[in-house]
Amino acid sequence: MDLSNLMAARMQMAFTLGWHIIIACMGVGLPVLLLYAEYRYLKSGEKVWLAITKRWSKGFAVLFAAGAVSGTVLSFELGLLWPEFMGTYGAVIGFPFTMEGFAFFLEAIFVGIYLYGWEKLPGWAHWWTGVPIAISGFMSAWFVVTANAWMNTPRGFTVVDGKIADIDPIAAMFNPMIWTQTTHMNVAAYMVAGFSVASIYAVMRLRGHDGDYQRKAMAIGLVFGCLFAPVQAVVGDFSAKAVAKYQPVKLAAMEGHFETERGASLAVGGLPDMEAGETRYAIKIPYLLSILAYGDPNAEVKGLNDFPQEDLPPVPVVHVAFQIMVGLGTALIGLGAWVLYSWWRTRGLPVSKIFLWCVAFSGPAAILAMEAGWVVTEVGRQPWIVQGHMRTTEAVTQAPGIWWVFLATMTVYAILTAGIVTVLRILARHPLAEDM
Amino acid sequence: MAPDVLLYIVTGLALVLYAVLGGADFGAGVWQFNLAFRMPPEEQRFCDRSMGPIWETNHVWLIFVLVLLFSAFPTAFAALSHALWLPFLLALAGIVFRGCGFAFRHYAHGEEKVQQKWGVVFALSSTLTPFFLGASAGAVASGQLHVTPSGGFEGNYYTDWISFLSIYTGFFSVGVCAYLAAVFLCRDALREGNPVWIATWRIRALRMGVTVGTLALAGLVVVAIDAPLLSESLHGGALGLVFLSVAAGMFSLLALYRHWFNLATAGAAVTVAAVIGGWAFGQYPAIIPPVITLHAAAAPDNVLWIFITAAGIGALFLVPSLLLLFWVFKGQNTETGLPTEQGDSHLTDEG
Repeated sequence: MDLSNLMAARMQMAFTLGWHIIIACMGVGLPVLLLYAEYRYLKSGEKVWLAITKRWSKGFAVLFAAGAVSGTVLSFELGLLWPEFMGTYGAVIGFPFTMEGFAFFLEAIFVGIYLYGWEKLPGWAHWWTGVPIAISGFMSAWFVVTANAWMNTPRGFTVVDGKIADIDPIAAMFNPMIWTQTTHMNVAAYMVAGFSVASIYAVMRLRGHDGDYQRKAMAIGLVFGCLFAPVQAVVGDFSAKAVAKYQPVKLAAMEGHFETERGASLAVGGLPDMEAGETRYAIKIPYLLSILAYGDPNAEVKGLNDFPQEDLPPVPVVHVAFQIMVGLGTALIGLGAWVLYSWWRTRGLPVSKIFLWCVAFSGPAAILAMEAGWVVTEVGRQPWIVQGHMRTTEAVTQAPGIWWVFLATMTVYAILTAGIVTVLRILARHPLAEDM
Repeated sequence: MAPDVLLYIVTGLALVLYAVLGGADFGAGVWQFNLAFRMPPEEQRFCDRSMGPIWETNHVWLIFVLVLLFSAFPTAFAALSHALWLPFLLALAGIVFRGCGFAFRHYAHGEEKVQQKWGVVFALSSTLTPFFLGASAGAVASGQLHVTPSGGFEGNYYTDWISFLSIYTGFFSVGVCAYLAAVFLCRDALREGNPVWIATWRIRALRMGVTVGTLALAGLVVVAIDAPLLSESLHGGALGLVFLSVAAGMFSLLALYRHWFNLATAGAAVTVAAVIGGWAFGQYPAIIPPVITLHAAAAPDNVLWIFITAAGIGALFLVPSLLLLFWVFKGQNTETGLPTEQGDSHLTDEG
């Protein structure tokens, strides 16, 4: 077994997936914002809403193109990097991928109609061509995440003499993690899209471009993100309970929880020390872990020491990523509370510089929290690619030169990222009048 | 019909649609490469207008083929992922640069330098991608990949895909893309009522058509030498499809010559469909000849039936949406209100 290959393949997958997810979140969330802005324009006839819609639709087009190709990379990589996984389980989890194919197809079709149809389909007809984009964007994310949920809680097949048998793709798709994981991801996508948009306009306003356009554009993104931030806390709690039930070792890694105990305390922050078998420098909140995981202060929470060593994920990575996700998520809820308080007192958003700075950081924070969440779920599932059935080492390709591929990929994606930023900035520099 | 055969046909159809529609989009980039990136801006904008609304959709056919392959024929997908490691990676790089290149160039509107740079990226990658995808198809058809029946691989990851046939199909695919693009652009030039572009693209299409046609006949020799298995299997229905492709190709040239651009478009599409159909028919019941058969690669029947049902339901949404897209942007109503097809002899050129 070539361990170097495994590490290279994992880095390659993590990097391309991590890049794609950010763009994909925009593909899921931006259409909703677009629909809202265009709705306001159609209702009020105010040109500023038209400018927002047109401006965003161009940015969306650039991001959608990047998302389509980076998504294609992933579908190839499933085979190129993990041929044994796809060869063995392709039939079991092909169903949601097929459905995702259709959803993405519809999204691409209506993106074409929406982006190029301003003249051909005026008024509300144009607005309606945006609705399928929002729906199919949501659905394609949903279907793909069901496949990932399956990797965490594989169902819908049996193993007979080392062979996969009795395949039931429907049961595989509707695995125990489906609802918590898909909801968690789609809400995250809306948060990422909302806060990212808001932060771009907050930066513009901090730089002195503080007009009606920037204010309205920031407000839509911000309110959208803030609406979903508290929802995410609730969904996250459901997710944690599902992890506690189906992947107890992942829960223990997330929490840096080593000793099996009743009335387990929650470790906030800190760094797990694998040698010493404890999480150092953490703030311990008594009983809270038992409550969060099982809804009972005296519930027993199994610790890392009681799992076989060879089944443990890289605990420090998982624990730290989990702390980052929860910490940033909480901060974003705090931002939402600030907005709500200001609304209650003044019927408007805060206008202070500090507030704009906070909004400027909300986009990167939402993205980082989302990425940290993926690290928790993916690294937390290691050493398995299919929990309990196939180890990642068994799935990886034996093809040569993966480190070189990874290096080339990073170069290509760096060029793409630079291209996206350049083009979005060019779009932003055009006078607003062009889009009215 | 057995579900694996049905899905083989569905996958083949998706591949045909990708080759025709996606191929024409690649072709637009091939032409920019062919013209040494010196296509006049006006004409380039015309190409962009022509593919702008539909190229994302056309690209999804490839994703669809992949998804069908790994869901319905996972063993074959695993084997191909090994054996076509290098051409797949290179095609992927091309796909990434091409998709982004097109969108970046389009939306960098107003910044000529940025647009030029991404225009070059778009043209180069539009040429490389069909080469490596075509070569991958040729490598499969050649029957020389060292795959194992269980989806494993015993060849060299870098060189196993290289054969006389695969290199030939690489070049052939690029030519086909260029031909499709030129024919489609004739039709779009007519829709826009621009006699200069009609003349330009008609001549380009005719020249490319004759070149690719000659290359295609030479291809039959390549197949006979390098893929004796495929060559032997070209009888009965497969042979009929070969003849159909020749006839449709010649018909599309005639139609071009006579300014029947709708018919030329249809003829070119049928030609490509017949080539792919002949290949798929010829190698049946193998999916990766001669080692992996369709039946051995396929998921169990009950799973396949679920995919077929899902695909049927999906098609209920997909087909009307596709029709709407093409009706809105490719329908007969020209923006200038000019009549189309045979009627406009005033739009002819010296050809």
